[in-house]
Amino acid sequence: MTVASSHPAPGVLETAEAVSSGRRTAVAAAEEALARIAEGDGRLRAFLEVTPEAALAEARAVDARVATGETLPLAGVTVAMKDNMWVEGRKTGCASRILEGFRPPGDSTVAARLRAAGAVFVGRANMDEFAMGSSTENSAYQTTRNPWDLERVAGGSSGGSAAAVAARFVPAGFGSDTGGSIRQPAACCGVVGFKPTYGRVSRYGLVAFASSLDQIGPMARSVGDAARLYRVIAGVDPRDSTSADVAVGDPEGALGRGVNGLRVGFLREAEEEGLEREVAVSLDDARRIFRDAGAQIVSVSVPRTTVSISIYYVVASAEASSNLARFDGVRYGPRKSDADVASLYVETRTAGFGPEVKRRILLGTFALASGYYEAYYGAAMRARGLLREDFDRAFREADVIVCPSIPGPAFRVGEKTDDPLTMYLSDVFTVPASLAGLPAISVPSGLTASRLPLGIQVMGPRFGEEAVFAAARAYEQGAGFPDDLPPASAG
Amino acid sequence: MPSNPSIVTPDVVRRIAELARLRLPESELPRWTEQLSRIVGHIDLLTQIPEEAFGTPPPEPPTPLRLDAPEPGHGDDALRANAPRELHGYGAVPRVVGSGG
Repeated sequence: MTVASSHPAPGVLETAEAVSSGRRTAVAAAEEALARIAEGDGRLRAFLEVTPEAALAEARAVDARVATGETLPLAGVTVAMKDNMWVEGRKTGCASRILEGFRPPGDSTVAARLRAAGAVFVGRANMDEFAMGSSTENSAYQTTRNPWDLERVAGGSSGGSAAAVAARFVPAGFGSDTGGSIRQPAACCGVVGFKPTYGRVSRYGLVAFASSLDQIGPMARSVGDAARLYRVIAGVDPRDSTSADVAVGDPEGALGRGVNGLRVGFLREAEEEGLEREVAVSLDDARRIFRDAGAQIVSVSVPRTTVSISIYYVVASAEASSNLARFDGVRYGPRKSDADVASLYVETRTAGFGPEVKRRILLGTFALASGYYEAYYGAAMRARGLLREDFDRAFREADVIVCPSIPGPAFRVGEKTDDPLTMYLSDVFTVPASLAGLPAISVPSGLTASRLPLGIQVMGPRFGEEAVFAAARAYEQGAGFPDDLPPASAG
Repeated sequence: MPSNPSIVTPDVVRRIAELARLRLPESELPRWTEQLSRIVGHIDLLTQIPEEAFGTPPPEPPTPLRLDAPEPGHGDDALRANAPRELHGYGAVPRVVGSGG
């Protein structure tokens, strides 16, 4: 009997309650998480680095705080942090050679808030290099495997965090979502993944990829767990001028609100997409579940979702080419030449970046170059404005909008690596909410005949997180995703 | 499929690589050109949106700015932790501007 298969693996709320009430210690919770990782991560490769000593020191500090009577909403909750967020005392590498050895000067705002709430960081989760990818195959170090089938990808770019949560290594994972990088891997691995409204969560200490899109959010095994994690990290931060001073409200309270009378809009363009049969079935099931829960079902149209991938790959790549200009061997990165400053830049960047990052930088540089700027970047920005207007209109007819999270189950390792365009199209359902800055959650919708997870996505209007959580919770209760342990996570 | 496959040529790829401070070996140029051309071909879907669809875009909301006042940072030790070498209390890096060492 292995650690993973012999323990029920408590979730976020359960752990926080047990540690707060003194029934369990944070040290015991951390030791168990570390044991599960030691036992199972050789197969999954969800972590780039595990930091047992620092985790146990943090757990001891949590136990000391609990002993003094402090109330901690995440007491003893172990967390997998994507490798692009600063955590004090750990490296931050974005799964890239160019950031090898970089030690952040302190905590990101998200890490600081998690720490204050009693969370314990167990390690750096694998990701696609600089969050560019949908499979973690673009990590410079390793490919994370899907706990449901080791031959398949975990999704990306936050694939390490998603796999770690799905395999029950830890109850909580954090990722960043620029075009679907939380929701898509969450769907592939059968866990909940939530991207808050753009501006809801501070990006201070998140290594920037595309600044008009990047947003940090949680992954967990239930909607309730995700709501707790979100509540802790949400809210304005003076260190991020794009964070919005809008009341967070009560996302956990919204969970019990139900969907009676709520207008749930099904996205027409997604249904016209030519869905895989099992994805179409899961969408029909979702319609029935919402209807049975008392929601009013409507059909809504967001016409420019059909060009959202085109918009996204111009806007995100243009911003990436600008953000990644700082990685030049002077401020970051192992120097690859000292001949002169031009060759220092070129040689460091050529050796330090992997092929996908180079591809995005080239694409972004192209879209911003004189002669192409108006035809590509200008056109994409104007189309992005139209997409936002489409959503504004749709949200006059529906309180939340529903569509699949992914066009099909997790694909096989290597299946799309030679075909970047096909890889990009796997984000077709998640990119629209990113471009419009909307909150969106992926909730597991069940397993395919080959026992691979699929997900249903619920999107809300900007700062409409409460409605999203209420709908997601109602769907989760109706869908009843089995709480099976993914086969590849146990020993 | 690309509506105008000739836009992304090996010359264009060579030029943007130079702008992006990346070196692409000549032997890999056809592959980069083919991949980027396919992606740009897909992006060309944007040209199918009729011009009359675009009205006057709504103004972007203003960026909230914090008070321009000094705040404590992470401290010198945290910054020096990333310096390859320390010299007289500063991080020392190799010379990259001008000649000599």
